[in-house]
Amino acid sequence: MVTILPPPMRLLPLDIAGVSAGFPSPAADHAAQPLDIHDYLVRRPAATFLFRVRGDSMQGAEIFDGDILVVDRSVPARHGHIVIAFVNGERFVKRLHRQGGRMALLAENPVYPPLEIRDGVELEIWGVVTGSFKRFAV
Amino acid sequence: MPLFALVDCNNFYASCEALFVPARRRRPIVVLSNNDGCVVARSAEAKAMGIPMGAPWFRIERQATRLGVEALSSNYALYADLSNRVVDILSTLAPALEVYSIDESFLDLSGMSGDPAVLGALIRQRIADWLGLPVCVGIAPTKTLAKLANHCAKAGLAGADGVCDFTAMPAAALSRLFERIDVGEVWGVGRQTRERLAGMGIGTVRQLRDADAPTIRARFSVVLARTLRELRGDSCLALADMVSDRRQIMSSRSFGARIHDLSDLQEAVASHVARIAERLREQDGLAGVVQVHLQYALAGGGARGVSRLLPLPEVSADTRVLTRQALAALRALYRPGQAYRKAGVMLLELVPAVHRQRPLLAAPGTGMAVGAGAAEGRSEPLMRVLDEINRRFGRGTLRLAAEVGAQRWRMRCARRSPAYTTAWEALPVAQAR
Repeated sequence: MVTILPPPMRLLPLDIAGVSAGFPSPAADHAAQPLDIHDYLVRRPAATFLFRVRGDSMQGAEIFDGDILVVDRSVPARHGHIVIAFVNGERFVKRLHRQGGRMALLAENPVYPPLEIRDGVELEIWGVVTGSFKRFAV
Repeated sequence: MPLFALVDCNNFYASCEALFVPARRRRPIVVLSNNDGCVVARSAEAKAMGIPMGAPWFRIERQATRLGVEALSSNYALYADLSNRVVDILSTLAPALEVYSIDESFLDLSGMSGDPAVLGALIRQRIADWLGLPVCVGIAPTKTLAKLANHCAKAGLAGADGVCDFTAMPAAALSRLFERIDVGEVWGVGRQTRERLAGMGIGTVRQLRDADAPTIRARFSVVLARTLRELRGDSCLALADMVSDRRQIMSSRSFGARIHDLSDLQEAVASHVARIAERLREQDGLAGVVQVHLQYALAGGGARGVSRLLPLPEVSADTRVLTRQALAALRALYRPGQAYRKAGVMLLELVPAVHRQRPLLAAPGTGMAVGAGAAEGRSEPLMRVLDEINRRFGRGTLRLAAEVGAQRWRMRCARRSPAYTTAWEALPVAQAR
């Protein structure tokens, strides 16, 4: 879907809208804040936790070994969400499948079979993954 | 009518320790005091096994381990972070709040519309959903009663699903309930007071509530007389009015004028720390956590409070260490442009200094605690000199210039879990396999 912004262009940061020497612009009070990566990734700080990924089973979802996951516990887990799940005493990152009476945790890599949740499996959907990030070693 | 809630996290340390570790769910776990000395917290399962609070670990280790009990060193970094999150959540649900301890907050619900028990259930649900921590909520017209209601919710004596609202109970039911509760459960009734009350035939909450007020005032204190009034539903304590409690020390003051600059706040916070650190040393205590709270004026009138807890690297009574953490907490709270009205500092998680005894011998199979004695050796005489000079020549004669070089010492904390939420290298791992 394409959103058309009404003129004038609202997204232009005001502090580059014009440079005038001498008087401070009255618009300076509304100067755009620098972009904050934390604000972008974390919507509910109180409910957000970070996890480190170990393994390659989620690479189909652009989640790679060593990435850091943003997990927001305020988001109710639904079918199709990527989640942190505690299964039989271990922490996993998986895609939640919950449809048509079937409950399973899916990998995003054909090498790894789905984990079917049947009676006797100890499962806790810990939180919903809402983002991921990494820093390159430079 | 005044209305308060006390929100208390159940088995807080043990709940924090189980949050990221599925294998610790519904398992007996205990948390040890610094230097892995005594049991300071227990999970419900460990309580059910009869492991007593305060038990020296070396004495019960063998038997407890055989029973499957897991012992952990205190991890204040984790507890303080989760505690701050609880406070952040509560401050979105109630107009005013007072952080009473690392795991307890009072909320002022006066003037809120709706059923307070419904709000209590929402608080409980939200903290469970967002943080995975169980809490109980006690609701009543006074702080003393709210604390008692919380006890009832936790012990399953009254209320339902971890929420107990005294305002919803008929007077007769409340009286019957109070007959069943030991007077020692009342906020501010310590062991000595309890014994003296017993000598007068007062053993239950009901007996204290119905006791003769002038007699209580004459034989005990104004404080206990006030407790009695609070038990009768007459609110005497507002938010931030503390009942004296040796588990925490606070200093807080309103400013003469509104303050905007960080440097002015730093000065205020440092002077609060100097005062309470001295009091801490007077009572031979050590603190585990520092809390800074600020209050700022809102544009439309009124005020808003914010607070931040920060753990100490190790329990300490060293003004330098305490000041460093308090200033770090202040930096985290400070927002330019706010008009601050009040600042305060509280020391929490106090332990007697004897808890930090130097290990004489390395425990078998564990590493020797390195450097604990050395740091102590420098810190304690210095602090004594500081206190002595200030006593003799007036408070503030000798003050800390600024931060003295970072001094870290290592205690025995072999069983400490990672700082899951406050260190990049300690993030919990999610298996992708």
